[in-house]
Amino acid sequence: MNESAPFVQFYAVKALAARGFKTYVESPSAYVVLFVFYLLTGYLFTLPLFLTGQASIIGMNDFVPLLLTFLVPALAMGLLAEEMRSGTFETLATLPLEDWDITLGKYLGFAAFYLLAVAGLLFYPIVLSFMVQPPSHLDWGQTIGILCSFSCLGLMYGAIGLYASSLHKNQIVALVTAFLIAFALFLFGKLDNFFSGPLATVVDFIGSDSHIMAMSKGVFDTRDLIYFAGVIFGFLYLTAQRLSSRRF
Amino acid sequence: MIRALNLTKRFASLAAVDKISFEIPKGQVVGFLGPNGAGKTTTMRLLTAYLPASEGRCEVMGHDVSEEPLAVRRCVGYLPENNPLYEDFEVTDTLHYIGTLRGLTDAAQRMDRVKAVIKSCGLKSAVGKKVGELSKGYRQRLGLAGAIIHDPDVLILDEPTSGLDPNQVLEVRELIKDLKKEKTLLLSTHILSEVTATCDRIIIISAGKIAADGTAAELSGNLQNKNRLYLEMKGPAQAIFEALSNLPGAARVYPERDGGGKEGLIVESEAATDLREAAFNLAAEKRWPILAMDQKTLSLEEVFRKLTQEQPQ
Repeated sequence: MNESAPFVQFYAVKALAARGFKTYVESPSAYVVLFVFYLLTGYLFTLPLFLTGQASIIGMNDFVPLLLTFLVPALAMGLLAEEMRSGTFETLATLPLEDWDITLGKYLGFAAFYLLAVAGLLFYPIVLSFMVQPPSHLDWGQTIGILCSFSCLGLMYGAIGLYASSLHKNQIVALVTAFLIAFALFLFGKLDNFFSGPLATVVDFIGSDSHIMAMSKGVFDTRDLIYFAGVIFGFLYLTAQRLSSRRF
Repeated sequence: MIRALNLTKRFASLAAVDKISFEIPKGQVVGFLGPNGAGKTTTMRLLTAYLPASEGRCEVMGHDVSEEPLAVRRCVGYLPENNPLYEDFEVTDTLHYIGTLRGLTDAAQRMDRVKAVIKSCGLKSAVGKKVGELSKGYRQRLGLAGAIIHDPDVLILDEPTSGLDPNQVLEVRELIKDLKKEKTLLLSTHILSEVTATCDRIIIISAGKIAADGTAAELSGNLQNKNRLYLEMKGPAQAIFEALSNLPGAARVYPERDGGGKEGLIVESEAATDLREAAFNLAAEKRWPILAMDQKTLSLEEVFRKLTQEQPQ
């Protein structure tokens, strides 16, 4: 390709992201995913509250990362697969857009909706802050840390979901592919005890578990942020390459 | 303008488009004809930088499609086959969305263009409706409006009237006629009346190869290896038949009904032989008044059948 074009055309990314976000907001299936998300997180929040009197959202920390390996791919499965199934991908692909415009536009639309959904979890600690006396007993650092870890995990699984969605026009195939990759990363984090020496370090680094551990305690480590940014960029790059192979 | 040179597209071992070359000058309207699976859509996808060519090259408005796909996409308006649209969008939202992605970033300028295409495509009564609620005719108009929103120099329309009822076909045809005043236009179809109604030139493609290229009259003339003269004369039928059969140069005489149901005779001769004068002299001599005389040419349907059946899929 000889022509010199900017890496991304921001107006196009913005339009695609806004369109993606609007699609989520108007999509009944997105609300089904949100309903399951809030139902399960609500259960995980209230159980320790009433059983042990624990005023924290830390109860979510054990189960939500696993839940996200399925729910986030379910949110992302249609991002490109639906365009391919309905034929609108041909319209999109013949507009003057770079592969990265489409990739980033689609991803940012998802990211905006997902982050809004995670922000909705703030409802629990806010309610809790009214119940706990004095309110300072609620560990806001930990709460924000946990929500950040959910955000990072979801954004990472979203990038995986977008890539899976570019592979096939069948959304179920995209869902299963993304789930398997996300679940593998989740599983790696649980396997480090079975290994020793440098291999354990590698397995521990690949798995997502070790990278949210410090964050859930309110501690932000650059290595964790680099891990999430790296995986997200990697899958966005693969998506752009995939789009490039489907058209010019 | 559009230029294709030895353009080839292979899917595995199958050549969907096989070394085709053609040139469409600025302002010309070309009908791309061919049976299903002939390679029309693939060629259009190559020209719109949707698919990369396996071999050969093509240019649109001076931009090489493989080297400058973005520049090509900027100057082309494309209506894909089946006209895929976002069902959940409203008509104006669709046009604003496509307009923005087409680079109409200035809101006021985009609004002007949206208004202009709504007017020129007759979409006024569809404004406010969701795409999913539109009739097929309005969907097609919306697809066309999206293709011209950036006022492109080149328009490529893949079966723009497919699946429409006769009234809708006429509406879309009128729209295309308006567009052809200022654009280079390539439209694919397998509806033959469509090309005769709208196109300056016809390219017939069969099994991935160009089978014919020219105006309807040229194609018909090139393929016609016999001269057929239709005659209706008043007089004794048997005597007329025999007299015409005995005309010097007449190879065969057979009855044929014209469009109005009247029966006349076709006098067939070699392509170079014109029997009209001899037939007139005969009628004058025998005092058989001539009611109708017509030099028959091959219809586009006959040309199409002849060209596409000779190269089976």
